[in-house]
Amino acid sequence: MLQVLAPEPLPVAQARAGEPAAWDALFQRYQLPLYVFIYELIRDEQASLDLVQETFLAAFRHLRGLREDAKFGSWLFGIAHQKCIQRWRKRTEVLLDEIPEAADAFEDAPDELVIRREQEAAFMNLVQQLPPPQRAVLLLHFLEDFPLDEIARITETPLGTVKSRLHYAKHSLRKLLEASNENAA
Amino acid sequence: MKTPREIFLARHRAAEPKLNQIREAALSAMQERPAANSAAPGPAWRRVVSSLGDWLAVPWRELILSSRRVWTGLVVVWAVIIVVNVAQRDPGTHIHGSTANAPVMMASWREEQRLMNELLADRVTPPAADRPANSAPRPRTQRFGMAAA
Repeated sequence: MLQVLAPEPLPVAQARAGEPAAWDALFQRYQLPLYVFIYELIRDEQASLDLVQETFLAAFRHLRGLREDAKFGSWLFGIAHQKCIQRWRKRTEVLLDEIPEAADAFEDAPDELVIRREQEAAFMNLVQQLPPPQRAVLLLHFLEDFPLDEIARITETPLGTVKSRLHYAKHSLRKLLEASNENAA
Repeated sequence: MKTPREIFLARHRAAEPKLNQIREAALSAMQERPAANSAAPGPAWRRVVSSLGDWLAVPWRELILSSRRVWTGLVVVWAVIIVVNVAQRDPGTHIHGSTANAPVMMASWREEQRLMNELLADRVTPPAADRPANSAPRPRTQRFGMAAA
């Protein structure tokens, strides 16, 4: 019989108490998703590694400000997102690419979208073509399956904007996958 | 078939050794200055300020930030209205006009005052013929007796 195990609680309280093992566990849990998120936004390996380290140190310094331990993940990604924005501002890259709000929003889970091996390169290519704000929302949705309100908090954008960004990003992906399926058939 | 998460993580799995090094470096940096992050949650006023900030962040983001262009437009319109209003006001003419009308207004006011005094004087001393004959209150029994008679 298939059993769904509850996710193991994060040792945030122990980390707050200053236990190095707890910090190690937290960083180990998030280091790769965090790196993927940063790298896919700024496309620079060394800068991404630096920002991961800066995010870890900022988390250590400011953990006192986190009130809900269960939201450690979104809080950490919020710090990383801020670091990416600071970097964008330094490089004067165009960050905002506003799009009109969608009437409907995708509510399906990220696992519902599955990609065949031959579609992977096209998928990654398409993700890279998305404007940075849409890319950030899509990455947060795919990597950690954050709820929309937490993505809004991480990216500091209104909920409606998050919905519309996710809608357009997923719409583009679906079109790509459908076109790829038709070509294969 | 893979989920997008699996694809992303698989693509960057090669960075894990470097990330492990970064993690270790970050942990050793933390151990060098452990006092920066004590277990104490901080003073009460700081927590209140922090929670107030969080509480205000949501309406700020949803009401103000989302319609920042509309709000900016409204601010500009109000600024223009205020500037035009101030520019059209001529304080010298206004004072002159009010002083020119002052004697007329004073005469009108005196006339009204005189009429009011006359009216009030009539009410204060009504003529004897207008007064009711039996105005003093009486007990109910006496009044019934008078009615029967």
